[in-house]
Amino acid sequence: MSMQRKDPTEALAALRADAITITTEQCIKAWREAVPGAMDDPTHIDVVGAMGSASSIALGIALAQPERKVLVMDGDGSLLMQLGSLVTIAGAAPENLYHFVFENGVYATSGGQPLPAEGRLDFEVMARGAGFAHAERFDDASAFKEALPGLLNRRGPVFVTLQIEPEVGVPSGTRSALMGDQMRAVRKQFVDTEA
Amino acid sequence: MAETAAVAISVPAEAIVNEIEALGITHVINVPDTHQKSVLALLSRRSHPTLITACTEDEAIGINAGLYIGGKRPMLLIQNTGLLASINCIKGIAMDAGIPTFMLVGLFSRDVTKTPSEDPKRVINRIGPTLDTWEIPWYPLERPEQISAIAEAYQRSLDVKGPTVVLVGAPTS
Repeated sequence: MSMQRKDPTEALAALRADAITITTEQCIKAWREAVPGAMDDPTHIDVVGAMGSASSIALGIALAQPERKVLVMDGDGSLLMQLGSLVTIAGAAPENLYHFVFENGVYATSGGQPLPAEGRLDFEVMARGAGFAHAERFDDASAFKEALPGLLNRRGPVFVTLQIEPEVGVPSGTRSALMGDQMRAVRKQFVDTEA
Repeated sequence: MAETAAVAISVPAEAIVNEIEALGITHVINVPDTHQKSVLALLSRRSHPTLITACTEDEAIGINAGLYIGGKRPMLLIQNTGLLASINCIKGIAMDAGIPTFMLVGLFSRDVTKTPSEDPKRVINRIGPTLDTWEIPWYPLERPEQISAIAEAYQRSLDVKGPTVVLVGAPTS
């Protein structure tokens, strides 16, 4: 069994409350479809131009603002670009970080090439082995929707892998310059000046 | 046999940490650097600034961005090999997105009796030209008298909203 990307995305959008949200790669487009005005949302960042960095940026924000939940919507190929980030996050142990990996088994943006070891690799086991406080796998949208409130009430770092249908996506259309604008908009909530 | 004079002289870890402290740095994100191990040892014995260890320099660039977004004053402590490994993240996050990213970079394996450009090892003699190619401002820290390079480089990263580098020439003491 597996899900369509939009189903867990919509569930996350509905329960994000005042969390800082971070998306990357194919998650960007899905988030924009689920959250009208997401590009200009001062609590949201689309990470582009540094594949694999979404969870590391999320870690920094989570450590800087421990009272604020940080939700990162990542890709499986993206996570593999900085797989060590699982260990770094577990080491820093931010209780407010929630890492959701949309696992479609392919590099969607570049044409749907399969991931190395696709079908054998297990992100849930990797996250647990890295030392995450909680790791879980979902392949059913209803089960995920039902479990999500409980997951977001857990003490982090929490890792969730979401089995979604393979897809060959379209480019997100965003740019690094836009990412910088979004980063500065989020920062404005926490500082009075730009210095 | 006469000894060859050192071009780069060790800077005490305490001087570097005091400089970092004076700048109000809140977090030092490191991927362990052999060259600056005495700085790391000193930081590990202190509660402030917070020392964060990342698995790769790519991650360190991202964590630095996140801390900055969250209102903190972070910096990186890495070594030359890691700087080379993380060029794409420096480009994408520090340069294209305009995030202040100050890096204290150890010139690991440097022959301190030679200038970096005279050192035959590429990981030493190519660092400056690589930074120049990317137009990343960099400052040498070749002796204790140059300690103010840290403050200059940090402030410049804030002013230009981008990456700056201090190259630590000799192993710290």
